[in-house]
Amino acid sequence: MIGEVTTMRDSRRAQHWRGILALSFVVLSGAPAMRAAEDARQIVAEAQRRSEAASQRYEGWLQVFDAKGRVSDKRWILVRLGSHGSSKMVLRFTEPPEVKGVALLVINHPDRASDQWMWTPAIERDRRIALQDRSTRFFGTDFSFEDLEERDVDQYDYTRLGEEPLDGDLCWKIQSVPKRTKSSQYTKSIVWLRKNNYTFARIDNFVKDEVVRRATYSDVAEIQGIWTARRVEMADLRRGSRTRLTLDKLQYSLPMKEEDFTLQAIRRP
Amino acid sequence: MLLRLISWPYFRRHVLRTLLTTAGIVLGVAVFVGMHTANQTVLYAFNSTVDRIAGKTELQVTAAETGFDEEILETLQGAEPVRVAVPVIEAVVSTARAGQGNLLILGTDLTGDRSLRDYDLDEGDEAIIDDPLVFLAQPDSIIVTREFADRNGLEANSPLTLGTALGPRTFTVRGIMRSSGLTSAFAGNLAIMDVYAAQKMFGRGRTFDRIDLGIKPGTALAAAQADLRQLLGPGFQIEPPSSRGQQFEAMTAAYSMMVSISSLFALFIGMFIIYNSFAIAVTQRRSEIGILRALGATRRQIRGLFLLESAVTGLVGSIVGVLFGLAIARGIASSIGQLISDVYGVAQRTDEVATTPWLLGLALVIGVVTSIVAALIPARQAASVDPVHALQKGKYQLLSERESRTRLIAAIVLAIGAAVCLLAPTIRPVFYLGFGMAMVAALLLGPLLSLGLSRALRPMLKWLRPVEGALAADSLIQAPRRTSASVAALMLSLALVTAFAGMARASYDSIIDWMDGALNPDLFVTPSQDIVIRTLRFPDGMGEELAQVPGIALVQKVRNARISFRGGPVMLVATDIESIAKTSPRPAVEGDPRQMYEQTAAGTGLMISDNLARLHGIHAGDRLELQAPHGVISAPVVGVVVDFTDQQGTVLIDRDLYRRYWRDDTVNIFRVYLTQDADVPTVRQLILDRFAQDRQIFVFTNRELKGYILRVTDQWFGLTSIQMAVAVLVAILGIVNSLTVSITDRRRELGVLKAVGALRGQIRRTIWMEAIGVGVLGLVLGFGLGAINLYYILEMVERDIAGLRLNYVFPLTVTLALVPTMLASAFVAAIWPAEAAVRGSLVEALEYE
Repeated sequence: MIGEVTTMRDSRRAQHWRGILALSFVVLSGAPAMRAAEDARQIVAEAQRRSEAASQRYEGWLQVFDAKGRVSDKRWILVRLGSHGSSKMVLRFTEPPEVKGVALLVINHPDRASDQWMWTPAIERDRRIALQDRSTRFFGTDFSFEDLEERDVDQYDYTRLGEEPLDGDLCWKIQSVPKRTKSSQYTKSIVWLRKNNYTFARIDNFVKDEVVRRATYSDVAEIQGIWTARRVEMADLRRGSRTRLTLDKLQYSLPMKEEDFTLQAIRRP
Repeated sequence: MLLRLISWPYFRRHVLRTLLTTAGIVLGVAVFVGMHTANQTVLYAFNSTVDRIAGKTELQVTAAETGFDEEILETLQGAEPVRVAVPVIEAVVSTARAGQGNLLILGTDLTGDRSLRDYDLDEGDEAIIDDPLVFLAQPDSIIVTREFADRNGLEANSPLTLGTALGPRTFTVRGIMRSSGLTSAFAGNLAIMDVYAAQKMFGRGRTFDRIDLGIKPGTALAAAQADLRQLLGPGFQIEPPSSRGQQFEAMTAAYSMMVSISSLFALFIGMFIIYNSFAIAVTQRRSEIGILRALGATRRQIRGLFLLESAVTGLVGSIVGVLFGLAIARGIASSIGQLISDVYGVAQRTDEVATTPWLLGLALVIGVVTSIVAALIPARQAASVDPVHALQKGKYQLLSERESRTRLIAAIVLAIGAAVCLLAPTIRPVFYLGFGMAMVAALLLGPLLSLGLSRALRPMLKWLRPVEGALAADSLIQAPRRTSASVAALMLSLALVTAFAGMARASYDSIIDWMDGALNPDLFVTPSQDIVIRTLRFPDGMGEELAQVPGIALVQKVRNARISFRGGPVMLVATDIESIAKTSPRPAVEGDPRQMYEQTAAGTGLMISDNLARLHGIHAGDRLELQAPHGVISAPVVGVVVDFTDQQGTVLIDRDLYRRYWRDDTVNIFRVYLTQDADVPTVRQLILDRFAQDRQIFVFTNRELKGYILRVTDQWFGLTSIQMAVAVLVAILGIVNSLTVSITDRRRELGVLKAVGALRGQIRRTIWMEAIGVGVLGLVLGFGLGAINLYYILEMVERDIAGLRLNYVFPLTVTLALVPTMLASAFVAAIWPAEAAVRGSLVEALEYE
């Protein structure tokens, strides 16, 4: 779903860390409206078009609130070179100490699934990562791997359900249903897309007729000309837990070098 | 009706004898149930661990025991039929906690593994435990089972020290799994860790032991197997988890066969006790039978009555035997489990006795059928009792001329048949038919030989005690049926003991010969205290470092692992063949001793052990195919050598060839030769000082390693000695039974003796001498049959059990030890019957009949 907010890339086989890349694209989802697209598909496609940037860097703060009220945090620094299908990304965890130094390299391809590697400094080795069960939780958060994957706009059928105010913003309310060729844990999703800046406000994900996960996008600001939701919160309604991702020190179009996005590079501390 | 009116009162009058008769079946069935249940328990424990660990795994990809390159994972993850592919490393490590034994470590990739296995956690910070990132980032992370945590007082974040390839390492318990199917695997001694951390901790380089697969919905398992076989090539096994149980069964087949043989012997011996009891019962009750016949009972009814009695006896004995067998199964299972762990290096833990209704049903059926078969001849004889002759006493125990002749002819025919069968020894059914014929011939000859030997014994007994000796010998001679059944039971048990003892002796001799030639290094350096456990390994480079230690002249690297060969497991030994040829060449059974080493070292040929050659009918010159993860080795057998490394057989190849086809350069054992002036304890300490800081290392001296192998051999034969002891016990029961019957049968005779002035001491000595006479007959015939039995058992070991060619050596020491043991047992067995004979009322005795 976050992918919808961001790139809408072709992603038939989603991969773990592609989702994190998708998270970075959250910030690209709020470009100013140039023309009002009345058609539901056109609205979603327009949101994707406005999310392009040559590079990106931010410090992410992930907070998991479990059903008993306990909170666990993780922080990382994310750098991304390029945009959408041809991008490369390195994510390096900084906190907590147990995961400090763990780095992830994601190489996206326009025509196939991304390649991903993880570097674990404690045993000094990298490993290739493949997503094998997209409905499972993304490393203890309330996002599933599928929530984090980039999606192709053509893999869904859209229906415009009308317009509705949400948290003070008037939104398009659109239903997306995976096409038969698209395997998904969800039966359907209902998205609220802000009319004023083409950023998503909320996504309800359904299994049959029950909402199982709800993503809420807030703290929207224009950064270097790109409207960005700086806070994404995903609630698992069955577990009673939620995960909040906060983007800090977000910058676009910084100068970056290709050689910093290699396996050799992530092995460097 | 007849059972209640006729049989029941008889049983009540002869409670002791009934109990003794039943005890034969009880013991036979108990041994059968106990050994088989224990065997099943061990197999069940192994399968259960495999199943529980497998979770929802549908197929497992392995390269037998060797492991394979981790790149295969990517290939499988991209394969069309695969839904999920999870790499796995298994390692058995020491917990170093008293009474806790080993811990089975399952190294896996938790990211994808959650869809195959359910780690139901109930303690620990869920946000951390549930987050594979922390697990992956921290190589000390470990999840243990609730059972293990409770036993060891562990909770979340507790430290847990385990033996690894890098030496003792402290892990952090980051999660505790709730009790479930998975946690009961390996009796709860199970822990989960990251597969890549496991690679480092257990010295696996960049390899996995196996990859567990989930298949895409809608894909047939067979189709997925075929696709994946095509994709990976023949060096990989792609099988459902259950097939590991079949491999385990194949590995332990030799042991199972030994269990079956001795169980059947125990039952066979029990059969003679029943035969004896019923034969005597027919004798004692012939007047009763005569009355029944006179009253109109048909022969068929009489026969049916005795068969029904035997069936009831068999059923009661079987039920008690089953219960007794189940009671002893746990202890036996524990011993078998330990044995299998020590001999085969396959870890499993038995925590619950597992049996199947069919086994218990089979035991009941075998018990009843054995009993009925044993009673067939007495029942037929009962049916043939002529009412007119029924009042005559004593003569019935005699063998008629006609019967003797018939027996002799049948025995000769069978013996000739057995000899003829030996002419076609390569045909398995013919061989076993010959074995059966030889045994039956011996049993048919038993009464005749007993009679002959009793006659031969008479002068000696008479010389010892003129009155008592003559009476005892006459008793044996006049009742050959009664005597021969006891003698037959004793003969069979001694034949079993003799054969097993002979096999053990031959095995020891052969193993010692082989060890003296093949295991001649001064030191053996291993990463595990249990030499057969190959889950921990050394890196290749350590060999060169080892060679630098002062006092070391030569280091040979050995990598051994089970591989799949023609559908079964065999041991592959990859070593420095050129060096081995110089230091410890094995005796050649086939092939040129010099060329075979040259060709094997060059990688242009293979050497195999003679047991593998025999089990698979392979000869020098035959071309073998070994399927490896990186190709198929197709090479001729250039030599067949004596080698006792593994019961299923051994293939010896050069280490370079192994590295090329398996891409594995790890080492299981370093064979270390010292310089002439080096001191073994000093060099041993130098090795430990140099390496023990960095890794787990054990240094065995030559004597210690050989001692270890002999201890394991002892364990193997130790279990069979339990069965032998039971066989002897059953035979002693037979003597007690026979004497009890003899005393009862001769009450009047003994009463007359007392009436004419025989002293109590004379009566006692008569009974004792009769018992010792039975013992002597049993010993002579038992050793004779044992000599034949040993031949067949050695042939079976060579043909079907282990392919080992063992020298025929009659176990003289054991048999000599058995002489006083059995005579003393016979004497002890006679004490109670003798006292009963002495204390019996003279009036009652004279009124008997």
